[in-house]
Amino acid sequence: MSLFFIVALPFFGALLPGLMNSAGRSACAGVTFTITLAAFVGLLTNLPAIIAGDIVMARVDWMPALGLNFTLMLDGLGFFFALLILGIGLLIIAYARQYLSRNDHMGEFFTYLLLFQGAMVGIVLSDNILLLLIFWELTSLSSFLLIGYWKHLPEGRQGARMALTVTGMGGLAMIAGMLILGQIAGSYDLSVILQNRELIQADPLYLPALILILLGCFTKSAQFPFHFWLPHAMAAPTPVSAYLHSATMVKAGIFLMARMWPVLSGTPEWFVIVTTAGLVTMVLGAVIALFKHDLKALLAFSTVSHLGLITMLLGTGTAFGAMAAVFHILNHATFKAALFMSAGIIDHEAHTRDIRRLGGLRTLMPVTFVIVCLAALSMAGIPLLNGFLSKEMMLEEANHTKLFGSPWLVPVLATVGSLFSAAYSFRLIGHVFLGPVRDDYPAKPHDPGAGLWLPPALLIVPVIVIGVAPFVAEPFVKLVTAAVLGTAADLPSAHLKIWHGLVPALYMSIIAVVGGLGMLAIFNPALRLWENARRPEAKVIFEWLVESSARLAQLLILPLHNGSFSRYAAIGTIAIVIAGYYAWATGTIGAPTYAMQTADPVLISGWCMLVAATLGMVFLHRNRFLSLILIGIVGLMVSIGFVFLSAPDLAMTQFTVEVVTIILMLLALNFLPNRTPIESSVLRRTRDAGVATAGGLASFALAYHYLLRDPVGAPISEFHLANSYKGGGGTNVVNVILVDFRGFDTFGEIIVLSIAALLIYALTETLLDGPVRARLLNRTPDQPRAGDRHPMMMVVLTRGMMPVVMMVGFYIFLSGHNEPGGGFIAGLIVSIGVVMQYMASGFAWTSARLKYPYHGVIGAGVLVAGFTGIGSWFVDKPFLTSDFTYVRIPPFEKFELATAALFDVGVFLSVVGAVMLSLESFSRLARRAETPESLHPMDIDPSRTDPPDVQMKPEGS
Amino acid sequence: MSWLLAFPIIIPFATAVIAFLNRDKPTGRWWSVLGSLLLLLASGALMVRVLQEGVVAAQMGQWAAPFGITLVADLLSAVMVVITAITGLAVAVYALADIDTAKEKLGYHALFQVLIAGVVGAFLTGDLFNLYVWFEVMLISSFGLLILGGSREQIDGGIKYVALNLVSTILFLSGVGLLYGMTGTLNMADLSLAVEEVENQGLLTVIAVMFMVAFGVKAAVFPLFFWLPASYHTPAFSVSAVFAGLLTKVGVYALIRMFTLVFDHDIGFTHTILLWVAGFTMVTGVLGAAAQQDFRKILSFHIVSQIGYMILGLALYTPLAIVGAVFYLVHHIVVKANLFLVAGVAQRLTGSTDLRRIGGLYKSAPFLGFLFLIPAFSLAGFPPLSGFWAKYLLVKAALDIDAWFIAFVALAVGLLTIFSMTKIWGEAFWKPHPDGVEPKLNKIDRADLWPLLLPIAGLATLTVIIGLSPEPFVQFAERASDQLLNPQAYVAAVLGGAS
Repeated sequence: MSLFFIVALPFFGALLPGLMNSAGRSACAGVTFTITLAAFVGLLTNLPAIIAGDIVMARVDWMPALGLNFTLMLDGLGFFFALLILGIGLLIIAYARQYLSRNDHMGEFFTYLLLFQGAMVGIVLSDNILLLLIFWELTSLSSFLLIGYWKHLPEGRQGARMALTVTGMGGLAMIAGMLILGQIAGSYDLSVILQNRELIQADPLYLPALILILLGCFTKSAQFPFHFWLPHAMAAPTPVSAYLHSATMVKAGIFLMARMWPVLSGTPEWFVIVTTAGLVTMVLGAVIALFKHDLKALLAFSTVSHLGLITMLLGTGTAFGAMAAVFHILNHATFKAALFMSAGIIDHEAHTRDIRRLGGLRTLMPVTFVIVCLAALSMAGIPLLNGFLSKEMMLEEANHTKLFGSPWLVPVLATVGSLFSAAYSFRLIGHVFLGPVRDDYPAKPHDPGAGLWLPPALLIVPVIVIGVAPFVAEPFVKLVTAAVLGTAADLPSAHLKIWHGLVPALYMSIIAVVGGLGMLAIFNPALRLWENARRPEAKVIFEWLVESSARLAQLLILPLHNGSFSRYAAIGTIAIVIAGYYAWATGTIGAPTYAMQTADPVLISGWCMLVAATLGMVFLHRNRFLSLILIGIVGLMVSIGFVFLSAPDLAMTQFTVEVVTIILMLLALNFLPNRTPIESSVLRRTRDAGVATAGGLASFALAYHYLLRDPVGAPISEFHLANSYKGGGGTNVVNVILVDFRGFDTFGEIIVLSIAALLIYALTETLLDGPVRARLLNRTPDQPRAGDRHPMMMVVLTRGMMPVVMMVGFYIFLSGHNEPGGGFIAGLIVSIGVVMQYMASGFAWTSARLKYPYHGVIGAGVLVAGFTGIGSWFVDKPFLTSDFTYVRIPPFEKFELATAALFDVGVFLSVVGAVMLSLESFSRLARRAETPESLHPMDIDPSRTDPPDVQMKPEGS
Repeated sequence: MSWLLAFPIIIPFATAVIAFLNRDKPTGRWWSVLGSLLLLLASGALMVRVLQEGVVAAQMGQWAAPFGITLVADLLSAVMVVITAITGLAVAVYALADIDTAKEKLGYHALFQVLIAGVVGAFLTGDLFNLYVWFEVMLISSFGLLILGGSREQIDGGIKYVALNLVSTILFLSGVGLLYGMTGTLNMADLSLAVEEVENQGLLTVIAVMFMVAFGVKAAVFPLFFWLPASYHTPAFSVSAVFAGLLTKVGVYALIRMFTLVFDHDIGFTHTILLWVAGFTMVTGVLGAAAQQDFRKILSFHIVSQIGYMILGLALYTPLAIVGAVFYLVHHIVVKANLFLVAGVAQRLTGSTDLRRIGGLYKSAPFLGFLFLIPAFSLAGFPPLSGFWAKYLLVKAALDIDAWFIAFVALAVGLLTIFSMTKIWGEAFWKPHPDGVEPKLNKIDRADLWPLLLPIAGLATLTVIIGLSPEPFVQFAERASDQLLNPQAYVAAVLGGAS
């Protein structure tokens, strides 16, 4: 079967159990089993090719640009791992069907399991290291879901997150490592990389690449100091533990080390890092395992220890070491999976996994006893079981290994590790099955149905067969080892056999077994010693790390992000000033090309007023009314400045805008306290003053230097000047720019203006519905109200001015194209005319006489402007292309008609609508507040017959 | 040609007007959906044209560049418009269920469409001052969307948002003024030619820094990002989603555009600053997220962190790095908007976004959990989802030029992102609800359920598609990167006088 199918089957198959959960538990398990079986059989069809020494390849281009191709490769090593993954997978599926309870969502479980299986198969069959990375990360992800499968358990959630964080970290390191490796080798294909041993090992980047890749391997395979996540992942359901943590996921790191063996191993760096990590892990894991009371925790640490053993063997870099590693991978997978499943059986039947609460199960669960006994003895390294064989090879290899210049360091530690390994294996048998039968088990234990014990029992078969007749496994082990080594030529001549003679390894083995028994004999005092000893708890350290980084984050971020606007603004301002200054100080700047001009007294006095008003603002801003007046002065001076600079349009615009905004702000001020209270300390105000001064000085310096230097080239405004009349039909260039050259900008801006008005409306509207409304109603103004709010003089005056203002507005609008003016200014002027009526006679009276809905006026303005633009499409011109013509209708003089004027109407309408809507919104606030509204034009009206003190009640009260 | 470029701006504007006029009726929201659909078609047409003909440009008002305003679309602009349209459509559909009638009456849909118009305008304009106008359009409409509803929290966040953005606006405007004074032009293509003749390169760099800061505020980079986490968790979820997806990306787009087209005179200076900014942005953002306990606040800080990656692409300034930045932009918009949409459904089901007070989503709504996992793990950069490729490209680009440290930072931030995403997953999805609430999906009205889930599913599908078949997207990004780094075609299309 094509390799693609083998990899793809679990992935696509993963959909099935998830979708057919309602079809029943057996159906889910059945379909999962079938899928895995199909992949398994597919794998076996490739066996002849593998035996023949061929490498099966399959290739599809995926992202050739990035060097990532979907290239799969099957050699002995990949076959071996795929066999383990799929073979043990089959047993696990059968087991899980029986193990999971009715409350567990079966479809979900098998979906995750298949995803995981697919990812694992992907890892071991990848030829492209980037592809391998992808599968690698997928195993992290799917195992995260599997470990956290019992999501109601906090330990499960925590364990899953810890596993993902640690393996995720390794995965990210590996991305970097693989990228470097690929860069050195010039290809991301393993088949190429594996040929380039000399090139890679000679590269200066070899060491970083090695460390990064090993980080990935060590985290995945739970090597010291990353071993701590594995025991916590045991919160997963037992089938998951049995699958992930005996045969598959934790072996991924080992697999990768074996896969990379030809290129990465053999250097002193590899030897020291890998061997040391493996050795430490082996001893540490074994010691901790002995003192664990949770069956699965014991097995977890024993797994850690055995993975250390394999790692150490790979670290030695010899062919014999590699062969021993391969052999032990096989053996460990068989007995450890059996043990995990048995632990699950005990948990399932006795409802506890705590060794202290167990004991004497031998007679109650004889079948389980036999299985555990054989598997544990194999783990302890007892002859005639497979564990013995590979352990002997390990000890043999250890005997030849010299670490840090010491010939005895490795053998001694290896023996110690084996000793503890034997001890916990014996404890597993002794403390769980031997001893007297108890009467306080949480549940009455008995052997489960065959569905549960058969899968582990099947695994015991190879344990015994290989143990008794190791030559059965030899061809296969050698085949795989040859794949690890990359060449069959270096294959060690040693044979797998039980009796090697009286070699040192045998003595070490005997010491380990006897010592293990002795250790068990003194278990209780040793336990007390262990429990009283202070030792670093990896989980605590990890949590401390996580928590302290979270706290560090809080410490760093929260003071920065404390909700204080002035702080944000200060940080921003300082950043701007520093960056700007830095750019200025390091760049090249030419000498000034302009000399300073002398200023005449008029200019200086204007400037003084501007500065005085601004400074006054700084000192008097707590008085809100006063600051409004000062703002008015500033605005006025700016307008005058525009006049001085010969920009009458800008001056007119600025001036009218000033008037309107000041009026609107006055209205808003009505609802605010008269004074702004001092809320910040002197220190903070000093800081703010400093920051503001720095910002101001920087702007000044920039503007100053800038103004002393020439511009480059001719500005586009020269074109505008030249073409304004010819092309735009107007002599007022500013207006032609606004409505024609850059009409598109104006279009955007009127939308901004309209939206602003709508927002003011929306805000007041929501405020009036909320809690603010009550506050408005109950508010007592802090200023005495005027007795005569709508004085007759003002009423008369504003009425008289109204038509004049309208005429002025009309004139300014019409003349705009050629003289200063235009739609924007006209809109503001007309608005001011109407606003005056509001001021004189109040909102109620005025709005009763104005029938146009302001929303509609705004909408009409935007639409008119928009349609003017779209109109040009009908004559096949770009958006907003203008046209104009001159017509003569007697008795008038010849005059111009321009489409731009239509656009200007849009501008005019939206300005009027926006101003009026804002005004209306503020007045609505006023009307809901204390102010009674009168429908009369003035408060004291001689012609009125009803008494003036009879007034309308405020709305909404 | 003109309509091809103007349609994507005019359609949302027109939709806004129609939706506004129908704001009291239920049809208003459907107009919004229809308009978004039309925008998607228009943007698709534009994309096809750009793919076929390269950079296209149109002169508004038929004034030849650089005297009028030019709309121009290269591949980057085109793809940004398309992705905006996709996000817009998703959010418009989501809003059918998410936005109450009170907000509709105040013109939610109109504001939303104007925002989209502003975003599209910013992507399509070839004129610096016009870009400023679109920024204004976006700012005012986003402010409106932010405070619609008027809760105290919203107003507080909204004020900070608008005030800090106004600082950026002022800087931008000053920068435009100064640049115009130095070069006499506003057209970006013309500017790219004109800046070469500027003698005072130092002064130009100062102006470049002003633009960097102005756009940096918009893009929410360190140390200018404060407005974002202060405000994004307050408004309606549709609003959060569209903000998260699009707004900061306009800042990033503007940075990429200006710092490839115009300000490439002193790369050693400007892009080094950008590199530092990128690093700090990634780190502070992700650390900020680690310190949060609220679904939306975590996501908000992650926006900041992810922006750092995009800036990193620009800062490294190699072809591959720009490819990474472009890819990242596209991937991130889809993913981030989607996460906020999921947060909205989660809030509906569980009653809160405070992770300490919610839970049980996985058990009761596994489908939602699945839909969350895709964008969440894509954000964290897990293969084979889109985020993996994005990060992969950037890390590879960094390693290619031996930028070890920043590659390390990028990867480490990825790890912390995983951590944050699993925090949300563990707390909101796995953990049982502390009050024993069973957040089942069928608690939501059937009429509301589809508008809520359909966009999420659609965006998740897109994430998976980009993830599983990244090749065409990477190839596209390569072409876009090539256009950005070799702007001759862009300049020719704008100044060549084609209309």
